[in-house]
Amino acid sequence: MSEAILEIRGLCKEYPAFRLKDVGFSLERGRIMGFIGRNGAGKTTTLKSMLNIVHPSAGEVRFFGLDFAQSELEIKRRIGFVSGGANYYPNKKLSVITAVTRSFYEHWDEAAYRRYLALFAIDESKTPRQLSAGMQVKYALALALSHGAELLILDEPTSGLDPVSRDELVDVFLTLADEGVSILFSTHITEDLDKCADDVTYIRSGEIVFSLPLAELREKYRAVELTAEQAERYRDGLIGCKRAKQGFTALVERGAFTELGGHEAGLEEIMVHLDKEARDDG
Amino acid sequence: MAKLLAKEIRLFTHPTSWMFLAFGAMMLIPGYPMYIPFFWVTLGLFYACLGARENNDLYYTLLLPVRKRDAVRARGLYFAVMELLQIAVCIPFAILRRALGIGPNPAGMDANAALFGLVLILMGLFNLSFLPRLYKNPSAVGKPFLLVTVFVFLYIVAAELCCFTVPFFRDVLDTPDPQHLGAKLAVLALGAALFVLLTLLGTRRAERIFEKVDL
Repeated sequence: MSEAILEIRGLCKEYPAFRLKDVGFSLERGRIMGFIGRNGAGKTTTLKSMLNIVHPSAGEVRFFGLDFAQSELEIKRRIGFVSGGANYYPNKKLSVITAVTRSFYEHWDEAAYRRYLALFAIDESKTPRQLSAGMQVKYALALALSHGAELLILDEPTSGLDPVSRDELVDVFLTLADEGVSILFSTHITEDLDKCADDVTYIRSGEIVFSLPLAELREKYRAVELTAEQAERYRDGLIGCKRAKQGFTALVERGAFTELGGHEAGLEEIMVHLDKEARDDG
Repeated sequence: MAKLLAKEIRLFTHPTSWMFLAFGAMMLIPGYPMYIPFFWVTLGLFYACLGARENNDLYYTLLLPVRKRDAVRARGLYFAVMELLQIAVCIPFAILRRALGIGPNPAGMDANAALFGLVLILMGLFNLSFLPRLYKNPSAVGKPFLLVTVFVFLYIVAAELCCFTVPFFRDVLDTPDPQHLGAKLAVLALGAALFVLLTLLGTRRAERIFEKVDL
């Protein structure tokens, strides 16, 4: 039986102009989950609420079967959280930041840390300010990966990285997942998830729309290209029909309107069209 | 807590804090308000808090395996350590002042044991009022410090005025050591007890406030 390493139920947070509504999903050991949604959908608020960086108004968050509020210390030792890059202490040498960080982890793996420094070509004598945005992310990841984290929570880890670096990271994620590490990462670069995610959770306007295995999601939809005349004729059965450079594009249920042809929908197409559908309905 | 305190010293401390500690030498100035070196330590703490805001210190700290309340507790402990360090630096200069034969301080309180007791009360009140305000909105450091600084100066002015107007201060506390040493040591002990109590109260209050704060 699979083991849920992260379980979130009924997570709520209210701001004057935004509400996180009853967010819930779970992640199993050794799986990679993509957490997608447009800017402002609630991805970062959810991740921060899970770790009490933002104080949730309601909900239950359990890591490794432990309640976060009761076992914050143990949980934090067993997870790694990277939000953006190493955007702290920009004028301190990385070696100093590492030395301080290392002292907090009993199971710090210095060999792994050196390996990631070499892999990411990070010079420890530099300061975060001297690193590009992408290198800051890599350094933050090297720290997170060096204390034997069983779960990595990454907020937009591949944003700002060049395609080769992103591909390297995806390789690292796949290797870690093979070793039993679970990864939850929010992103709007769905291409990265197409390469490595096992599960996808989609949040829109503070609410979870779905949380499914990627394979199951791909089974659900087909992306089709249509002429204006087809768009009008099939209007009621199309999901999130929108203008494209030549005609229209939309999603359809996997088995529906086979005469329209189309192809297996990618994550980006699913996200864009479902969001368009919601706006049209809304 | 030791790891967090080490982190505070290595990352949080503002470089000027070490320089301000050297201002303990002001104890040698013949006619000078002896509380002023202790204002500098609060200024060093303020600079460190400003730096912490610019350096995203709270965010970095909360990603470490520490509880929110422990982060606040370590900050309170760090404040106390720096304040006590300032006193530790001042004591040899106060002794040297006497050894050099620099006479009574015409500007106010003499550099004696009672002064350090009154300074401990001042530092305790600073911690009690600044720490909770600091954690209520960690991105607004200046306003709480300004408010607390007004209070610090009012305390200093009141304490110095007492040396000229209140007989117990004028005739007992504001005298060179070892005259009236028993009374002065009693003030020192009271100051030490209040320093611990007020710092603990300020830290606990800051912990409760910060638990509800969103970063």
